[in-house]
Amino acid sequence: MHGFQYANVAREMEAYGYDSVVKSHCRMCHGGCGVFVFVKDGKVARITGDPDCPINHGTLCSKGLASAQLAYHPDRLTYPVKRVGPKGSSKWERISWDEALDTIAARILDYKEKYGAESIVFGYGTGRENEAVIYRIANLLGSPNVLTAGHFCYGPRIATSIITCGTNPIIDYENFPKCIMMWGNNMTISNPDEYKGEPFSVALDAGAKLIVVDPRLTRPAARAHIWLQLRPGTDAALALGMLNVIVNEELYDREFVNNYTHGWDAFVKRVNEYPLERVEEITWVPQEKIREAARLFAATKPAAVQWGVAIEQQINCADNDRLLMFLIGLTGNIDARGGQVLYKTPPIVNVGRFGAHDKLPREQVAKRLGGERFRLAGHFAIINPKTVWDAILEEKPYPVKMLFFISSNPVLTRANACEVYRALEKVEFMAVSDFFLTPTAELADIVLPAATWLEMDYIGDFWKRHGYILPRRKVVQVGECRSDHEMLNDLAHRIGQGEHWWDTFEGGLDYILAPMGITWQEFKQMDYIRGEVKYEKYREKGFSTPTRKFELYSTVLEKMGYDPLPQHREVPESPVSTPELYREYPYILITGARQPGFFHTENRQVPWLRELHREPRVEIHPETAAKEGIKEGDWVIIESPRGKVRQRARLFSGIDPRVVAAQHAWWYPERKDPGHGWDESNINILTDNAYEGCDPAMGATNVRTLLCRIRLEVGR
Amino acid sequence: MQKYVLLIDHEACWGCMTCEVACKQENKAPDGVKLIYVTEDGPKESAGKLNFLYRVNNCRHCENPFCAEACPVEAISKRDDGIVIMDNETCTGCEACLEACPYHAIAFDKELRISRKCNLCYQRVDYGLIPACADNVCPAHCIYFGDPGEIEKVMAQKRKARNTKSDCITPEQ
Repeated sequence: MHGFQYANVAREMEAYGYDSVVKSHCRMCHGGCGVFVFVKDGKVARITGDPDCPINHGTLCSKGLASAQLAYHPDRLTYPVKRVGPKGSSKWERISWDEALDTIAARILDYKEKYGAESIVFGYGTGRENEAVIYRIANLLGSPNVLTAGHFCYGPRIATSIITCGTNPIIDYENFPKCIMMWGNNMTISNPDEYKGEPFSVALDAGAKLIVVDPRLTRPAARAHIWLQLRPGTDAALALGMLNVIVNEELYDREFVNNYTHGWDAFVKRVNEYPLERVEEITWVPQEKIREAARLFAATKPAAVQWGVAIEQQINCADNDRLLMFLIGLTGNIDARGGQVLYKTPPIVNVGRFGAHDKLPREQVAKRLGGERFRLAGHFAIINPKTVWDAILEEKPYPVKMLFFISSNPVLTRANACEVYRALEKVEFMAVSDFFLTPTAELADIVLPAATWLEMDYIGDFWKRHGYILPRRKVVQVGECRSDHEMLNDLAHRIGQGEHWWDTFEGGLDYILAPMGITWQEFKQMDYIRGEVKYEKYREKGFSTPTRKFELYSTVLEKMGYDPLPQHREVPESPVSTPELYREYPYILITGARQPGFFHTENRQVPWLRELHREPRVEIHPETAAKEGIKEGDWVIIESPRGKVRQRARLFSGIDPRVVAAQHAWWYPERKDPGHGWDESNINILTDNAYEGCDPAMGATNVRTLLCRIRLEVGR
Repeated sequence: MQKYVLLIDHEACWGCMTCEVACKQENKAPDGVKLIYVTEDGPKESAGKLNFLYRVNNCRHCENPFCAEACPVEAISKRDDGIVIMDNETCTGCEACLEACPYHAIAFDKELRISRKCNLCYQRVDYGLIPACADNVCPAHCIYFGDPGEIEKVMAQKRKARNTKSDCITPEQ
């Protein structure tokens, strides 16, 4: 694939006198990269990439390299603690694992008896590959409420791809797409699922054409053949415009359309409601550019869309995902070599089956929070966060009494942070499992010390759709830290679920692998296992949808009472939808562009990573900054109708002067007060979580695009 | 005779700063001291289009290093293989080299009160290993170490294969 193969393990061992080396699988983001972990005197001494790993081919990122600084951080929680002062007082006392888990178990059983299992909400963040165990314990308990990022991150890709073409289409980078359309994503520095930045870089260097859709001039946008700088939040309209060109100029794959799609005529009618004049007006993108991009994408084969989370954290979440899939499908790139493939996972107990969704009684499914409103989400066991805060604060439709957050920091990562904070302050009992006493953990009753990827055995990428599984092997033990899998396996026994779990979690790993006839101990000896790779499987079997076709017109959404065809919905708060508010808040605020080194709220205490970005930065166009009297490096107050925060100005001409771009997930772990500055620069103080602004099917919260005003901070 | 160089393919760099942390892991430079670092170049207009590049900066291991000339205690020397080495033991922290270096590639270590710069991981090179930042760690494959002629061959192929508009291989000298 390329000429790089360095990493000489034997010589590294010799040169540095390491005692041992463990081949493992990083999980500083969603996971994926093969690594060598060198050990000296029982401690992790160096981490390098594994050149033979098919995901990263030896390369790594700053986060993976700095993992040992996370594992051995002096502030790391290394034993269970219980709170002994009032909430938020940061008065903690060391307790034993037995006391911690017995206390949590007693609470679970008590609330279940008094208020029903639905009053206990489990939650996780971006998924420390713990989703399967968390769903398993919740479903077996009878709680339909697992609060994840799934409503607006990856969950929508899974849900919409299942209803459109059966599974999530993944770019076949190893067979070199000739045109890549990178849409609301910058996988070169972020953590997209499945593949990482390396194969994208290789595909570009092999000559792929690049189209970038992004309101900001990222480096890929600068390098692109065509950069479409759209008005934030108008992705659906832009995609409909491109599809309009592809349909009306007959650039689509006729054979695919005739034989393998459902709802073509209705779909054509819908795209004709989006002529380019209208699309230009909505998106700010000139018609010629839209046409040029659509032609380039449709004419170049194979082609692929590199998408990500930005299009999902919007009111058009589900339709954005579907429209991008339509671009892939109608141009003949679905399940095509070098296009976007519906990969097969090796034959294991998959994440859905392991999650024991079939064990949740129907009457409990019916109680899923927001399940009647966000029906596509509900169908995939996903809930909208505000439904939980409402159930705590207003006890509607029933009271939620207990939260158990496992590697999740919702005070920073969920919209309308002040409401989140109030809910966490009020909830009767909260347990948290994490690496540090985060602003969320500081509101807990019990905090458990979670293991990092260096401290656990697991089947890496178990939940992904690229068709690989890779062994993550335990390298070290730090304090009393335990993996979420071991911890929940233990807790499950204490709440009467023993028959569905194992003596130790190695039994769970064996269970996952059993259909392949291997055990964890055997898998541990392997490099990785890949599912069978086959292209254009639909020609024999059709797509795994109700019509066996690629559904342009969704029969599933229709049945759920939604518009079966994708549409553009205006951003809930924008110059178009709220012109009066726009007079008061005259800039479009976009949030969440990623910084290399951080993973959402994580790593701000890791020295090598914090050194990359000391402070939060808000990007302002130089013309706008001049108008507002703001200079490079000034502290700026950013304000929305919900509140205000401060970030430092970065003057940046790569955004539209009408748009301001702020960073997300900032807190200050170095501050030792219990709040750790959670409300100082946290952009989710500004975002809104009203149901009306969420995607009607997925319940995705629109955290990406809102209105704001900015001013120079004075007198602080 | 220059044997080793470190070359950056700036067209390929995504600004991910992995090289900075790879260097930290090897050389353990203290907070605020960077022996290799990424800077932003632009956005600026060129040919009616906004361009935006990242630039990776570190010691260029110059043919005739200004820093070595400027050093009053001869703490900086050039080896036969081209690697310019700063001897941390000899350095007195006078900072003359910082001013002499035209590339801003030398940092001052306030803890040790000495100058620090990229020694091209000679401790690795002498063991037959590749400098930490160039050891296939970069997800963009933009850092090359070795014989300048060989690297130029690879780069010529790379320039031919890729389809993107600009092409700048080395930092502005």
